[in-house]
Order: sequence, then C-alpha cells, then structure tokens
Amino acid sequence: MSKKRHRIVETLLWIVVVIVVLWVVSPFYWAVITSFKKPADVFRLSSIPWVQFRPTLNNWQTEFNQRGPEITRGLLNSVTIAIGASVFAVFLGSLAGYGLARHRYTKWRNQSMSFWFLSQRFLPPAATVIPFFLLMKSLKLLDTQIALILVNTTFVMPFAVLIMRDMFKELPVELEEAAWVDGCSRWQSFVRIALPLAAPALVATVIICFAFAWNEFLFALVLTYKKASPMTVVIAGTEHTQGVQFWYVSTRLLLAIIPPTILALTVQKYIVRGLTMGAVKG
Amino acid sequence: MKREKGNVFVIPAIIWIFTFTIFPLVYSFRVSISRISYGKITGFAGLSNYVRMFGDYRFWGTLRFTLIFVSISVVATTFLGLGLALVFNRKMRGLKVFRSLLTMPLFTAPVALGYLGVMMFYEENGPVNVLLKYLGMGKVPWLSHPWWATLAVCMVDVWQWTPFAFIILLAGLQSISDEIYEAAVIDTSSGWTVFRYVTLPLISPVLGTVLMLRLVDAFKIFDVPFSLTSGGPGTATRTLTFYIYTQGLRNFDLGYASAMAYFLLAITMMIGMLFFRRYRELYE
Repeated sequence: MSKKRHRIVETLLWIVVVIVVLWVVSPFYWAVITSFKKPADVFRLSSIPWVQFRPTLNNWQTEFNQRGPEITRGLLNSVTIAIGASVFAVFLGSLAGYGLARHRYTKWRNQSMSFWFLSQRFLPPAATVIPFFLLMKSLKLLDTQIALILVNTTFVMPFAVLIMRDMFKELPVELEEAAWVDGCSRWQSFVRIALPLAAPALVATVIICFAFAWNEFLFALVLTYKKASPMTVVIAGTEHTQGVQFWYVSTRLLLAIIPPTILALTVQKYIVRGLTMGAVKG
Repeated sequence: MKREKGNVFVIPAIIWIFTFTIFPLVYSFRVSISRISYGKITGFAGLSNYVRMFGDYRFWGTLRFTLIFVSISVVATTFLGLGLALVFNRKMRGLKVFRSLLTMPLFTAPVALGYLGVMMFYEENGPVNVLLKYLGMGKVPWLSHPWWATLAVCMVDVWQWTPFAFIILLAGLQSISDEIYEAAVIDTSSGWTVFRYVTLPLISPVLGTVLMLRLVDAFKIFDVPFSLTSGGPGTATRTLTFYIYTQGLRNFDLGYASAMAYFLLAITMMIGMLFFRRYRELYE
C-alpha cells in the first residue's frame, strides 16, 4: 500500500471512529446534561454546559429531597438482589463448571449438559413469569428481595456455568494431580487449588451476572410492588401527570445506568466470552 | 479417576434449574390447558386457549410487530456489527478504549434506554428532531405514528445490540491467523474475493452464534417497547411478551397468557435447536 493511500485509509478510519463514538455516547451525554438543566432549559436547543445553559445541581437535590427514600430503597434493593443472585449463581456455576471441565459424565454426557445449561438462555422470560408469579404468591414471597434473587440466579447461572467451565478447562490439570498424589481429595483440590487460580474469571463472572441481574425488568415489575422494587422498576414508575419531567427522569436513569456500566468496563477482557458463553473463544 | 464423585459438582446446579425452570414450565403448561378463576385451577379447558390464540386478531397484531421488529433489528445489528468489525480488524492505537466505550450500551438496562429514547425522540425539540432539522428534514412524529414508533423501537435496540455483534465478530476475526490472509492475498487481489472465500467461511460459526443469540433475544423483547412507547401508539408496538404480560398479569387471563407463552417458547426453542444442530462441536 502506498504511503498516501495508507494515510487516506487512516483518516477514513478515524472518521468512522468519531461517528461511532458520537453515536454511542450522545444519548448518555444527553441524559447527563439534562439532569443538570433547569426545566426551562430542557426544551431549548442547548447542549453545551456553561456556554448555552447554566448547569445546576437543583434536580439532583430536589429529587433526593422529594423521593430520597424511594430512590435509596430502589438502589439498595438493586444492590441486594444483584449481589445475592450473582453470588448464588457463581457458587453453583463454578461447581458445575468445574464438574463439566474435569469429569467425563457417562449417564448424561458433558455436551448435553452444557447444552442444557445454555438452553436456559433461549428460554423466554414470558414463559416462566406467570408460573413464577403464582409460585411466589403461594409461598408468600411476592414483593420480597428473596423472590428476585431466586429468579435472577436462575437466569444468570448459565453464564456462570459456561464461563467457569472454560476457565477450569484452561487450568492445567497437573497442578491438581500433584495435590491428589499428596492425598488431597477432589473437593480439597477444587477449593484450594483450582478456585484460587480461577479468581480473575470468578470476579469477571460475578460482575457480568451482577450487571444482568441489576438490569432485569420484567420479573421485577411482576414480582414486586413497592418494598422490594429495584431501580429498574423505580424508574418505570415515574410517569407524571404534568407530562414527562425529563430533568428528574435523567437523574434516575443515570443512577440505574452507572453502577453496572462502571463494573462492566472493569472486566472488559472477559465480556466476549461471557456474553456468548463459550461459543467464541475470544 | 472415580466417576461417581463428579456428580457432587453438577447436581446442585441441575437441581436449581430443575426447580426454577422445568417445574414452572410444566406448571404453566398445565395452566394453559386449564380453566382458571381467581388464580385457581377449576377445570380442564383442553386446547381451547391455543385455538383462541389463532382467532385473536390482537395476537396476530403483536406477532406481526414482533416479526417486523426481529427482522429489522437482527439484520441491522448483524450487518452494522460485521461492518464495524471488518473496519476495526487491525492493529490500531486506541482500539481498546473504543471497545470499552462500545460496551456501555450492553450494560445499560433496556428499560432505562427506553426512557432515554423518550427524551431523544421527543417530538418538540428533542435532539433527534433538532438534528434532522439541521439536515433540512421536517419534524418526525417518532412516538405518535405507528411506523415511526416501530422504527424508534428498532433504533434503540440496534443502538444497544450492535456493539454486541461488533465485539463478538471482532473477536472472531482476530482469531484468524495472519498467515491465512497473506496466502490469500498472494493468490487473489480483490478485497471482496478474500472476504467471500476466506474470511466469511472462517467466521461463519461466530456469525452463526451472533445471529442465533440476536434472534432469540429479539423475540423476547419487552422492556424497550414498555418504556419507550408503552406498546403504542394504540397497539402498534406491542410485542408478544408485552401482550402475554398484559393478558396474564394485568387482565389475569392466566390460561390464555400461558398458551401464548408456550407459542413463544416454541419459537425460541426452534431457533435454539437449529443452533445446536449446527454448532454442536463447540460444546464438546
């Protein structure tokens, strides 16, 4: 490739980068600036703070003064549910992942079991939401965090099983074999050797599960009314008779968006594998 | 190695999934063929709920919208993702930062994105319409006209899921070794030929994965229409899941909703089967 042509290609590439970044970031940017705008500025064409409008913290303050309890409860519920679900899922998932990576099952073959776990992702939530509702109702668990922890564990566990399975497969089995020779049991070598070595993937899995449980909406909407409602339901319940109050909506949106996004950005490396659950060795 | 001992590891997860998906699914099948009143099963209804489904024009309406949405969204996300992946499949400074930025939409709650969409697509001076005005186009009734609302729902979904297709396809492209390309370039000159006969066959399993996951996810969509358009205007953007939710948990017509849920389950499971058959070897 000639030098000149190379430069043209580079420039075109950067133009594409800029367009794509703008495309991806602008809605977030809009939410951020809207949350710092006075209501009067919201419907005016202003997008540059300090130049076109004077940013204010009013919305955030008013929002927390008027709806403080509702929002803190929402955030706390989201945190509890997401942590609960990801811990359960990763606990069960790393056990199963280890089993699938290290054992050859003869009755149900390994492949079939991996399929079976993966197929949970194909399951439409609409198919289980009604029985879940009836189940939780009869167990008197409606509007509790427990109900949502159980539901979300079920949905995010396939991620955990398959990410951990791949992780354990990559760990050399020799390390564990040495331990078995020294008299360690399978279980001991799992807890003392394999698990600590898989720590990075373990953390990444927790975070991916956390983000998915945090963002879940349909089940949260159906299984909670008030006490146990997470942030996704809190933002959905904020329509007003005076029309949409964008300046408040955006504060709440940001509260719901920021935590899982920040966490997810920290586990960049494992995301591809996590999302496709082993189908791409990326 | 003792075989039986391995069961300890997989059994907890199997029991969990059995309790929380298989059991509910069986129960909901029972509900779908039963007569229900006040949340209690009172009799046998046979297949009447399923029969009713085929005569319900609202069901067909939601199915129609779901299909339109699925086709637009899956095609657009896959093509855009593939295009971007091809463009960025090279060693470039700053690519990592770019990739991180692109994953942001993936970790945003779809329901929150819907509300963000309400702000973006607002008819009077919303940023999208302002931009269109600068480009010399008229005001678009994004959320009040059925066709535009359909497009808005698709656009939010494309915005959220294109990064998914992009990142996975990029990973697929980067796992192809350079030697293969070098050999190909010597033999042929056209970029298209290389793409068609070298790149495409090599990334076909990855492309298949992306397509399948996107298809299945798109069929399940609920959050974005719920928050962006509330299924409106009228019922123009009501998806199957949305209708199931309304019938089952708003109108408490549990049997009918369960029957429709089974229909949706059949669709996604069919897609899943196709995927399994094709890519079995990936799960050795």
